[in-house]
Amino acid sequence: MPDTNREIQELLVDYAETLRDGSIPVFLKSLTHDEAKIIAASREFWDATEVVQTLNGAGFADKAAIPNVGLFISRVDAKIASRLKQAKATPPPPSRGQARTRGSGCKRNTSTKPATKVEKSTEEQI
Amino acid sequence: MQNTHGSERHAMNKRLRNALKGLTSPDPERRRRAMEPFVRATFETFIRYLYRYLGNEIECEDVLEDVYADIWEKPDHLRNIINERQLLRTVYLYYMRKRLREVYKRINRNLCLSQKNLMNLIAPELGVLEILSQSELQQALHRMLSRLKARERRAIELWMEGVSNRAIANELKTTVGAVKMLEFRTMLKLKKMLHEYCGEN
Repeated sequence: MPDTNREIQELLVDYAETLRDGSIPVFLKSLTHDEAKIIAASREFWDATEVVQTLNGAGFADKAAIPNVGLFISRVDAKIASRLKQAKATPPPPSRGQARTRGSGCKRNTSTKPATKVEKSTEEQI
Repeated sequence: MQNTHGSERHAMNKRLRNALKGLTSPDPERRRRAMEPFVRATFETFIRYLYRYLGNEIECEDVLEDVYADIWEKPDHLRNIINERQLLRTVYLYYMRKRLREVYKRINRNLCLSQKNLMNLIAPELGVLEILSQSELQQALHRMLSRLKARERRAIELWMEGVSNRAIANELKTTVGAVKMLEFRTMLKLKKMLHEYCGEN
């Protein structure tokens, strides 16, 4: 897409083409500041994108190769397993009551650090 | 899931209903076991839906993998689902949109389109057309295309077949610029017709 002064219909068609080809980043990268402004201000563009997306779903999804579900399920399961592992590794967030008591402890802890620093610096001054 | 017709499309099959029951259980292991039948029952519909916005099977799979894992982690939104259409809308609104927003967020950081407009482009709000199911939508599109002028219909049909604008211009014996304008105007016309159809139904 070498053209940098595209009009709204050209922008829409270019978006539709990249969506159809599964390469939206190409369209995003091709946009100039002025074109982005035109898009932002154009009601017609957004109206037309809805149809483009609908047509893309209706027309091209049938041609798309539907991946192997069994293989995909194992991917999902592996992802869940890793999240389970992560959840087990990190302790659960404390309940509200605990959070309050712990929170006050934490505050004391965090407040001690700068306090000691202040103390030290005053000591040094003295 | 998308093969259901007529009044059946509103109901859920027993397998999906049971999977949803398992998915909303507080026990994470039970939710994990329920994921397989849930994925089997919904995969094709979900990937088809994501394809609308991405047009790329690999990205659709990656996004969907995260969507299912998110559903497993926080299935609260799926508690009171009564039919497949509601399921698709809920999954899109609460799970797919979140993941879709992240797809191109990183690459757009240094680009011209604002993040808000990028989101509108990649993960838009549900429009009026969403009240139609996939089969209804295809029927409606078929009907709307037949109501277009021959030239408009040919341009859209060729475009949907994956033909380039230059080839469409050659076929219609016109310029590429004229084809782009024709396609743009026809998209707007289709939008208006589809909205009227949704209003009537």
